[in-house]
Order: sequence, then C-alpha cells, then structure tokens
Amino acid sequence: MERPIFQPVGTPVEELDTPALVVDLDVMDRNIQTFQSYFKDSAVKARPVVTSHLCPQIARRQLDAGGTNGGIAVTTLGEAEVFANSGFADILLANLVVTPSKIRRLCALAKQTSIGVAVDSPDNAEQLSQGATAAGVELRVLVEIEAGMGRCGIAPGPDAVALAQMVNGLPGLKFEGIMGSVPGPKSDDDPAQHETKTRANLQVVLEMKEAMEKAGLPVVVVSVGGTHCYAQAVQMLGITEVRAGRYPLMDHRLKSFLPELAPAARVLASVISHPTKGMAVLDAGHKVMAPDQGRPVLDGVAGGTATRFSAEHGVVELEGEAQSQLNPGDKAWLVPYELGACVNQFDYIRAVKDGKLEGFWPISARGRLA
Amino acid sequence: MNEHYRPAPGTPMADLDTPCLVIDMDALDNNMDVIANCYEGRSVKLRGHSKNHKTPAIAHRQIRRGGTVGGVCAAKVAEAEVMVHGGIPSVFITSEIVQPMKIERLCALADQAEILVACDQPTNAQNLSKAASARGVELGVVIELETGLGRCGVREIEAGVALARMIDSLPGLRFRGVMSHQTIGSMPDREDRSVEAARTIRGVIDLKDAIEREGLTMDIVSTGETWSYDVAADIPGVTEIQGGSYLMMETHYGYMTEFHYAAKILTTIISTPRPGIAIGDAGVRAVSSLIGMPTVFDRPGVTVQSMDSDHSVFKIESGASLKVGDQVLLIPAQQDAMVSRWDRFVGLRNGQVEVVWDIQARGCHN
Repeated sequence: MERPIFQPVGTPVEELDTPALVVDLDVMDRNIQTFQSYFKDSAVKARPVVTSHLCPQIARRQLDAGGTNGGIAVTTLGEAEVFANSGFADILLANLVVTPSKIRRLCALAKQTSIGVAVDSPDNAEQLSQGATAAGVELRVLVEIEAGMGRCGIAPGPDAVALAQMVNGLPGLKFEGIMGSVPGPKSDDDPAQHETKTRANLQVVLEMKEAMEKAGLPVVVVSVGGTHCYAQAVQMLGITEVRAGRYPLMDHRLKSFLPELAPAARVLASVISHPTKGMAVLDAGHKVMAPDQGRPVLDGVAGGTATRFSAEHGVVELEGEAQSQLNPGDKAWLVPYELGACVNQFDYIRAVKDGKLEGFWPISARGRLA
Repeated sequence: MNEHYRPAPGTPMADLDTPCLVIDMDALDNNMDVIANCYEGRSVKLRGHSKNHKTPAIAHRQIRRGGTVGGVCAAKVAEAEVMVHGGIPSVFITSEIVQPMKIERLCALADQAEILVACDQPTNAQNLSKAASARGVELGVVIELETGLGRCGVREIEAGVALARMIDSLPGLRFRGVMSHQTIGSMPDREDRSVEAARTIRGVIDLKDAIEREGLTMDIVSTGETWSYDVAADIPGVTEIQGGSYLMMETHYGYMTEFHYAAKILTTIISTPRPGIAIGDAGVRAVSSLIGMPTVFDRPGVTVQSMDSDHSVFKIESGASLKVGDQVLLIPAQQDAMVSRWDRFVGLRNGQVEVVWDIQARGCHN
C-alpha cells in the first residue's frame, strides 16, 4: 500500500511529498458540471463509470451534480462490492460474470443494492438465473451487443434477439435492455473520423433495440459508453444512458476530443538528477504513471518533453531555456495518458483547492480487479 | 486495497477468483536455489532487489536459502521502510534521494538498520551529510556511474573521483563504494553475455580503481542484474550483484532457462464471441503490457492478441480450444510492472494454495 506522508490540510501543493496523484477539485467540479450539463435537458442521462477514479467521494459529487440517472457503472465485481459498501444504490457491472464463485458474490451483493450485469451468451444467462433463484434475488440484466470493440458482446442479429427473449423468460433475471461499448479514439486520431465511426457503432446498438422491440420485448435501457461518445449519443433517439468515466479527471488521451474539459488529475513528481544539460530524471516511472497505453505529458515546462518511463524513473528531455530548469529537488507535473491505469497505481488522491491540500481521499476500489 | 480476498491454504487453483497474481512455489524455490548455488563459497554475493517483489517474506526466504549479502536493494524510501520494518537488516536504496522530507525519512531508518544510498551529485551529498549529522546517524553512500541507461549517474570518472573525495570528507556520511546498472536485449549465449558484461561494467571498475588510487577505500562495488548474475560475478572487483527479475521471471529473460516462470496472472475466459477468439478477464491494469504482451503459459495454439484496461483478447489456432470458464495463465513480458499492481501473491504448489503473501510495499512510490 502507498505510504505517503500525510501532510496537514493547507500544505501548499508544491510542498507535497512525491510522487503524488493530485486532483484539483475546482477543475474537477467544473468538468463534472460542464459534462453532465449536456444531459440535463435530454432524455439521455449520464451513468458515471467509477472505474476511472475508483473513489467514492468523486462518485458522490458526480451524482449530486445532476444530469445522471442516479446510478454508477463499474468494470469488476470487486469494484461493485466497494461501492455498494459505500452506499451506492444502483450499480451496473458493465461486464460479464461467469464463474460460480463470482456469481455467488454477485447475488450476495444483489441483497444489499440494486445491481445490473451484462450477459452475452445463453449459458451464462442460465447460470445467472440459477444463481439468482438460489439466492432469492433478482438481477437486472442487459444484453451486451458487440459494437466495435472486438471484445465481449453478442454479434448484432437474430441470436441477440433470441438471447434477450431467453433472459426475459428466466426466473431471477429482469431483462432491462441492451448495452454496447464503442471504441475510444487515440490521442492523435482525427475527430471527424472518430465521429463518423462512433455514429455507425451506436447505430448498431439502436438497430438491435428496434429488433428486440419488434419481437415484443420491453427495452427500457439502452446503455452506451464511454465519455468519448457522448456528443453523438445525446443526439440519437432511443439511447437512454451514456456510461462515462474519464470526464471528471480527464487525461491526455481524450484531450483533443473534449477540449472544453481540463486535466484535473496530474502527478506531481520531483527531479532527482539533472545529469546532462539536456536531461532531467524524475522520481515517477512506469510503476507510478502506468504508461502502457500511451506516454504521459510533461505539463508547464516549455522546451521539456517526457520521453521515457522505466520502472522507477521518468526521463525528461530539455531544449533551450528549459535546460536551466528542472534541477534536483524541483517539482514537475505529468498528465497521465490513460487515467484509469494511472489512478490504479495509487491508494490516495491528494485533493487540492487553490493550490493547497484539502485532504487525502482514499482510492477505495484500487486493485479490486477480481 | 484488495482486503477481501485471501484464499485459504489448500484451495485448488480452479476455485480462485480471477484475475489473480499467483506464484508457482516450485519455480520460486528453484530460482532462489540457482542464486544460492551460484554464489556459494564466493566472496561476491547477491543483494536482491526488493522492488521486484516488494515483500519482506520473500526477501527473508532468499536470504535464508543463501547466496546473498544478507540485505536487499530498494528503489524508494518507502520500500526501504517496509523492508526495514519487516526485519531486513541492511537496505541499499539504488536511487538518488534528494527531497528534504525523504532524506529525513532515510536518516530515521538509519537508526534502525544499515542504510546505503546512491548519489550522483555534490549538492545531494551535502544535503545527505547535513541531515545525517543533525540526527547523529551514518548513511553509507555509493556513487552511481552511468553505463548506458541514459538516466542517473555521474558521466565521467573524474567527476566520480571528486564526488568520492567529497563524500569521504563529509560528516554523517561513510563512503562505501560505486554502482552501475545496465541492460541488454536477448543474449542466450553465456560467452556473449560475459563479453557484454565486461564491456559495460568496465566503467565502474575503472571508477573504483581511480578512487582507490586517491587513497580512498571502499567495500562495495555493486553492479550486475539478472542477465549478468553469473558473468558479472566473474569480474574481479565486483562485490555485489543487484538481481531482481530472476525471482519472478519474465519472457524478456526467457532465454535464461535455469530460471523458471514463477509469477503469473491467472485469468478466466468470460466470453467466446466469435470462432477463434476468446476474451479473458485480465487487462493492462492486471498485467502491464509496457514492454510487450504477456505470453500464454502452457497452452499451445493460444496467444494474446490485444489487451484493454480490463480485458484481453486471445487468438485460438485451429486445434486448440477455449471455453467460457476456462482458466489461462499469463507470463509477463516484464514482471515488476505487473507485481506492482497487486496487493498479494497467492503461492501455489501442486495446484493448491500454499501461502498468501501481502505485497507490503506495493504502491510505495514515495
């Protein structure tokens, strides 16, 4: 577990021990307001994906800000357990649960809170039904449609309708509708192309809704994700919720696609060596930044570029006037490329307002991968 | 923190909730024994890097099995704290520690155990000295030389000699020696590795010689890592090897067949949406894909095609099969990026849980 120095509230942010995951609460609250306002006068509502921050305090702020349907979404059963224990009353586990042990845990959770789960195969639907019946609970079920991710989800077509019909008829299950995840862009993808692709992927989900309704099924929920598809989703009649996680804290990957939002989560690092003119070494390497899906970006040093992350060290290359900056002991800010992966490396968010520490917020669901 | 999940000893692997970080205990013990045998009866020993396992119980296990100096390396002050609190008597922090708060923590630790720290700059040496003498403790200081990684470390022998002289004269510091760290690509042939080690480690021996010519003495020349654990030990003057990856192993070092794959991610197939494709419940958050995709263990015809945050896509060749609920073991391309994402190791022997170890220094970035 992280062993930070719990410095007192009011400590200037630049004096925090590093590396530190710092969230600027004002920036975060603005991001939440901006993004969730898109849903306020719409039939489509936001369902915050808390996997992106794993922090109940942030989830609570999202639900309090309006524009949501009052529920949250998670990716793992362990995350669902943490948020249920924190009092969240409507949780969608937007993933498949297939093993007997996990189905037992899921059904135990359904006694505490209202829980929805995805399904993409008839066998799994049967197992969920048996588990729920044995436990005496009802699970809300969404049929997951493959919508471009090349991952889980039943292929759109008659089999998907048949699966929905089956779920609708099984005891212990409540067929609620369908869900799909559409691929997100990489940071350098073309926004216009991304929009076209996203519309086409969402259309696939909507067509399945219509096919199921034609077959007489009540499709109450049409859930799509994530943050990057909101602009198209709010315009498409029939979609009921957008599962979105990245918008409160943001990251470099989505920066150019949501320019109205600012990075609220950044990692404060320290320079530990400046061994040559053109190079500084930071105390934040890949165990801190988790740059698996893309390279973090150095913020606020003109002429400085983060170029390499080995296990324990980050290397910054310096040009021009930047060569006289970033000396040992100096601080540097890094914006993560992929928010969720970086947050998962920490146990605490250092919550900051006006440049001063407000508190250490537990990242309660960190590491709950199973 | 993943407090809820602690399978009881005897639990069969098939009953583990996934994804789960497991250790093949036979492989772990084998890897420890390779080290113990390699350094038996020699003056050069291993100072195992605890950044790779972050677990005092594992550090003690290697020390008990032999081949070590009786202490460990650590990358961070917080890691060193966990090791010292776990009863390890000597810890070498192989990174430069420059922040005043961290230097204070370092000095507090030096009250409890032998603490060594890397240094590559005069100002840092002065700061370490001030803090150590104010507290009345002694920090052992080891000068880092850059030998190809392009990171920390002095760049020239002369700078290293000057720094040694300075450290030797500063109160609260004891000059202990020199260190370097270097990496190579796949190099299966021992003779090739021997040549490469001699070439890359030459610098740190030159630095040692130059410092000794000044009349200073040192007792530590710390260098080498998993790829050079055997060949660096043959270089006269080297006293300690900093190996860490050998313990859990990774495909990056797959050519070193004397070490066996110990740490793996156990994952479950949750969907088989199309012929030839299966989806597993472990993604980048579980495994890390920084230097490459993980490799499927002992399942011919199944490969990892891609990974998202929480899912992996397996490609299934004709003749192989995977169905929903099947378990698959993944070997990492790099183990310490993977281990640092987990709160505990589940140790398996003969397909059953033998031990559960808390990865106490997980997240100890500070």
